[in-house]
Amino acid sequence: MRLIHRSHRAANAVRTVSPSGELFVASLVICMILSSFGDAVDPTWFGEAGLEFAFFDLGGEFSVLAMRHWHLLELLLAGAVIAAGIMVLRIVAGAFFRPLDPADSGGVEKVPIKL
Amino acid sequence: MELELFSGAFFSALLAIILIDLVLAGDNALIIGLVARNLPKESQKKVIFWGTFGAIAIRALMAILVVYILAVPGFMLAGGLALVWIARKLLTPQDNSEESHLVKAPAASFAAAVRTIIIADAVMGIDNVLAIGGASHGSILLILIGLAISVPIIVWGSQLVIKLVDRYPSVILVGGAVLCWTAYGMITREPMLLPWFEAHPAAKLILAVLAFSIALAPWYNERLSDQMKPLTLLLPAILIWMLGFEVAASVWKVQADYLMATTQGEYLMEAVRWIGWLPFAALLLWVRERLVLRSARLARSAQ
Repeated sequence: MRLIHRSHRAANAVRTVSPSGELFVASLVICMILSSFGDAVDPTWFGEAGLEFAFFDLGGEFSVLAMRHWHLLELLLAGAVIAAGIMVLRIVAGAFFRPLDPADSGGVEKVPIKL
Repeated sequence: MELELFSGAFFSALLAIILIDLVLAGDNALIIGLVARNLPKESQKKVIFWGTFGAIAIRALMAILVVYILAVPGFMLAGGLALVWIARKLLTPQDNSEESHLVKAPAASFAAAVRTIIIADAVMGIDNVLAIGGASHGSILLILIGLAISVPIIVWGSQLVIKLVDRYPSVILVGGAVLCWTAYGMITREPMLLPWFEAHPAAKLILAVLAFSIALAPWYNERLSDQMKPLTLLLPAILIWMLGFEVAASVWKVQADYLMATTQGEYLMEAVRWIGWLPFAALLLWVRERLVLRSARLARSAQ
């Protein structure tokens, strides 16, 4: 029996994980797959095809091909940054689109804008 | 491959080892409690001490042995495949708390109790030391530091670990992802396959996605609707199909890269590779649909 199975929440982690935790792990997995992608492709091939800048050298600052050398710490950090970025985007987009939703026709406040 | 001391790679490997230790740690306290519950009070203290000491010693020995065993050609591949399965088992939800099958009955004597604790720890720790062996990149120092950090946490801080994973279940998911990442690293470092991976670089990407699609299946299966559930089977199957063509290309010496294809036969092979799986997928979905309808009909008629 594993130690983590003493906790019901941990034994059912795929069901009990929080949305933010899930987003972080999903971002981490995406970074790991991107890293293996950088490991799989031949950089010279993309250079010959003239695609290196278009696909992999985003703004000359970041290259997916360079991710092949990334360690777990870098991948965890990148996963955390991506997850934080997506959460901020979600909050901003939510704040922007919520006032555009029509008010409930049976609601007391039919105009969602408070003065 | 020896890691440079105190480099980013070193600390990353150490972090991976600690994470693996946490999520794959066995419940030693429960085993000791079960074994020693019928012994006299004065013997119980000795059993706890020597059982813990023996368990730590056998764990350290196994971890060091694994590093040498993994250097044997073929074992890195086998270990990597086993780790993918271990990660999948780790993420599979446990509806009922499983009872420890390693302890059948309380021990009658001190020696029997210590022996049972050590054997139980060795059996429970096989997956743990395998994962640590893979994550350590062959560094004995890393294994010893990892053990020195994680053993006290597991032996004396088990309640802390339980509180941590109970508060943040995402630690288990991170552990599963790290296990899978370690498995991918082990398979691609397999000495027998190194030349093949160099000749077929695309196979690395397929392998990585395949490993994650198998290991993380319990996670994404929970989030999929009933209609989308076959994806947990289809996605790995399609990736194995793709990988199969990479293997076939090297076995039968045919061109599997569409940019290099020149003859009609090679173009045909490319077509089969990219769309040949569609009839099989359609057949699988059709059979599944029939089975679902049949079971629904049977359930209706039984009422």
